[in-house]
Amino acid sequence: MAIVKEIVEEAAFRLDVCSQPTSTLAVLYFHAPWAPPCKQVSVVLSTLASTYPAGSNIAFFSLNAEELPEVSEEFDVTAVPFIVLQKGGVTLETVSGSDATKIRAAVEKYAGAGNGDAKTSLPPAQTVTKPAHPVHDTAGSDATTTNGTKNLAGYAPSAQDSKVTTESEDKQTKEELFKRLRELVKAAPVMLFMKGTPSSPQCGFSRQTVSMLREKGVRYGFFNILADDDVRQGLKEFADWPTFPQLWVGGELVGGLDIVKEEFENDPDFLNDYSVNAPKPQAA
Amino acid sequence: MSASTTPMEDAIRAKVTAALQPTRLEIFNDSHLHSHHKAMEGVTSKETHFRVFITSDAFKSKTLLARQRMVNHLLQDEMAREGGIHALQLKTRTPEEEERQLQNDAAKQ
Repeated sequence: MAIVKEIVEEAAFRLDVCSQPTSTLAVLYFHAPWAPPCKQVSVVLSTLASTYPAGSNIAFFSLNAEELPEVSEEFDVTAVPFIVLQKGGVTLETVSGSDATKIRAAVEKYAGAGNGDAKTSLPPAQTVTKPAHPVHDTAGSDATTTNGTKNLAGYAPSAQDSKVTTESEDKQTKEELFKRLRELVKAAPVMLFMKGTPSSPQCGFSRQTVSMLREKGVRYGFFNILADDDVRQGLKEFADWPTFPQLWVGGELVGGLDIVKEEFENDPDFLNDYSVNAPKPQAA
Repeated sequence: MSASTTPMEDAIRAKVTAALQPTRLEIFNDSHLHSHHKAMEGVTSKETHFRVFITSDAFKSKTLLARQRMVNHLLQDEMAREGGIHALQLKTRTPEEEERQLQNDAAKQ
């Protein structure tokens, strides 16, 4: 399964990215740790990466834009999150902002839909780190961006960055969280929000759901809600559904284990479109 | 009259009956199957995991999602509460669906 490789220095960039064969689609993701939308795009990308088999001709790289200023300048990165798709050093397309559907569409345009091969191998253990500070901590200054990007040029830590939450900031936090969730549920055509990971489920119901999906060869992205309490609590409210696992298809909630089980029982073709067994649709 | 030892089950029964007038309502307490799980560490309640089978006309023309949401909303407080219901497995059918299922099962004998 492909993973997102972190590039920490210029030399590594020259070595890893520039040495990719011209047939490989390199997905370069520029981020900044203080920008809230970036956390979400990180998850979207690692979920997306997990649907491509390792060693296929697509490689994902994550770059901290501020620590790699020369590379950022080379790609004209003025706002994050920012994604560059290139082959053999030629930039094919760039995506600015945190729209998960847009990111996925761009990647699939050049690399084809993710393979998943859910039958024989499971998505890798995902490293989701719980944000060290609540979302509103960093949103103090520049919270009014329209498409979720942050202007690097305008950033400078200043005394006016608010360290104290006010009620209006809390409300904004919730809005931001819901915005993030709205994108997260679309991170893959089939998304499973579960306890633990497919290779290590932490709950019987989650485990049974994973089993069922694997049996039907369904390709899906997953999110470990035990690793992110904001998403865990936020999604309960956002979905109007109090429990996990939660299966989302096409950005809509299908339900939990009971419903998924019944859907499969009532309709033998349920989720067939997303199965490795289905005939692959022609690329548009 | 002595206090009930199964307050959660009683609440489920009362609320579902009042709201959905079910023709069949079966409540199974599966808590003992999960009491040793890590997630249940420190929990003293013996009423954390339930399996509930409900047959009601109220489910007619409603998707599985909508039906389960109806039941979730009825038991919202019990599910949100600390030490309340942790897991709820539901089977929600209309009387016609139940009849059809019984016929299918009989045919398979």
